Amino acid sequence: MKPHLIKSFLVAGLVLIQPWCAWGQEEAQGIVQGAFDHYRGKASEATVEMVIHRPDWERSMQMDVWTRGAGDSLIHINAPAKDRDNGTLKKGRDMWTFNPKVNRTIKLPPALMAQSWMGSDFSNNDLAKSDSLINDYEHTLSGTDTEDGHRVYIIKSMPKPAAPVVWGMQVLHIRDDHVILSQEFFDEDLKPVKRMTGEQIQMMGGRMFPKVWRMQESDKQDQYTLLRYHRLQFLDHLPDDYFSLNRLKNPPEN
Amino acid sequence: MLIDLKMAWRNIWRNPRRTLLTMLAIAFACVLLVFMLSFQFGSYDTMIDSSVKINTGHLQIQARDYRKDHDIRKVIPDPQPILQIIDRIPQIMAATTRASAFAMASSASRTYGVMVVGIQPRSEARVSTLGQIITQGTYLTAQPDDQDFYGALVGRLLAHNLRLSVGDEVTLLGQGRDGSVAAAVVKVRGIYSSGMEELDRNAMQIPLAAFQEIFSMQGAVHEIVVVGHALSQVPRLKADLQQRLGGLKDEPPLVVLDWDELLPGLRQAISMDLVSGAIFYLILIMVVAFSILNTFLMAILERTHEFGVMMAMGTRSGRLTRLVMAESAGMTLIGVAVGVLAGVLLTGYFQVHGIDISGSSELLRQYGIPSRIYPRLSLLSITIGPAAVLTITLFAALYPALRIRRLRPVEALAYL
Repeated sequence: MKPHLIKSFLVAGLVLIQPWCAWGQEEAQGIVQGAFDHYRGKASEATVEMVIHRPDWERSMQMDVWTRGAGDSLIHINAPAKDRDNGTLKKGRDMWTFNPKVNRTIKLPPALMAQSWMGSDFSNNDLAKSDSLINDYEHTLSGTDTEDGHRVYIIKSMPKPAAPVVWGMQVLHIRDDHVILSQEFFDEDLKPVKRMTGEQIQMMGGRMFPKVWRMQESDKQDQYTLLRYHRLQFLDHLPDDYFSLNRLKNPPEN
Repeated sequence: MLIDLKMAWRNIWRNPRRTLLTMLAIAFACVLLVFMLSFQFGSYDTMIDSSVKINTGHLQIQARDYRKDHDIRKVIPDPQPILQIIDRIPQIMAATTRASAFAMASSASRTYGVMVVGIQPRSEARVSTLGQIITQGTYLTAQPDDQDFYGALVGRLLAHNLRLSVGDEVTLLGQGRDGSVAAAVVKVRGIYSSGMEELDRNAMQIPLAAFQEIFSMQGAVHEIVVVGHALSQVPRLKADLQQRLGGLKDEPPLVVLDWDELLPGLRQAISMDLVSGAIFYLILIMVVAFSILNTFLMAILERTHEFGVMMAMGTRSGRLTRLVMAESAGMTLIGVAVGVLAGVLLTGYFQVHGIDISGSSELLRQYGIPSRIYPRLSLLSITIGPAAVLTITLFAALYPALRIRRLRPVEALAYL
């Protein structure tokens, strides 16, 4: 059966079932929103190590990350020395990058959003559209599971009609304490493209949080990117000037 | 036998107008075929030649699999020993090294993704036409200018898209060989127009030394581009290079790719054109064949009485068949001879003066075909068309000639 047929059957199925499972959908929506709020918080400040692993080499970077709400983030690279002070600012859906050597901020054009971010398995889009999951997708609860004494919700997220999305479907595994265990991305033909998993879940910044995030393309076992949180703190508020071009050039001390 | 030939010759000219028309049809088909085939072969040569000269070269040495994904890490770590090997091969006219990487290029107002190519300005000029297609500004120099900015060459369309003119600064932001952030500001020295849209839209050339510094290449390159003296030498040169490179211990192993592997679309475009050409030629030859068949058939029917008389006098039908075949062979041979001669003369004229095709198709322009094409006479282009015409007309003549065997002298005599 052709993929788009499967997709239309799925859609048709969803439409038919909709009246009876409006409650399920509402619940799923709540679970996703809860998980999103849980890992983003109102604002956060973190020190993260990014490890890019390839079959024949590996590279690690240290960075400070500030986030606010669903839309804003600022990333500042500390190490290696060669890349120090490079930075990325995201405001809403716009992204800028700053390089100290040329001392310029460059706004990323739409055509380059699919490119990888800093050579990792994360694309610029993964960063820029991080809140897309909340705004652009319809969530349905497709099953539950148990793991380590926790209930795990399996949620299937299909894009809303005409939403400007990158993925044809996402499948989320969310624990009952709002921890996202995995997020799998599918293309328009509903074939798996890549998968992000949370590992080493522990208390961080006063919440249960995966210390390590792993992003891996579906057909490549020996190449992946790890985000390892060394320090994470949730805040009530970060001022506007944290997420400005000026701050991108002169990052705050963490 | 001699009598037969003499009779055939006389019979041919018994109806001079019909004979001439038939011969002209054959000759015309031959002229057309010789010219068209020479033109096609000539344009393919021009196509390959200009594509090869603008960018790819005849041969390239690369790390294995580099071609697949242009991964910046798949390098030739040290090009020197290979260049020394190349130096020792007399059939190689020139060689140069290049490195390339994808990067964001931004001007004061815009940002685009481009392929940044590091070139060695001096040897590059011997390998490709890059130095000759600069429309604004000047060619690249290896040294930075007095403000310590390296120069860059940009394609016409990229310059337009980025709103760049000569002297403007461009910021490059990409990723180095070691994964680090590669960033630099270069100054536009020249804008070129290669005629190949893809190149003019996507590429930016900077000096190799600058590239290696910006992208942390540690002296490595991605391609060694080689140009021989002629396209026809390429297969031998490739085998030779492959053999000599086998002696080097390199990790990853190096491969030698020829223009055909580097420009797979070009070969496809050529075979597509060749197939559509072949269909046209086949139709042309069929039309000529039918007109000849018609002429011969008419001649036999018209001469039934004559054949009856000859048979009544004791001529065997086999001899008559031979006679008729000789007539048609004579007519065809004269037609083909005239056609080939005229075709060669006509093609020869254009081979010297060229044909203006400035209003030609997109497909050709994509491959950077110049606006003037020179047909190229070759043994193949001269013989293949006329040989086909000759064979088919002789087959066409066979049918009427064989009909003679079925003639009965008495009935034939009565036929008036």
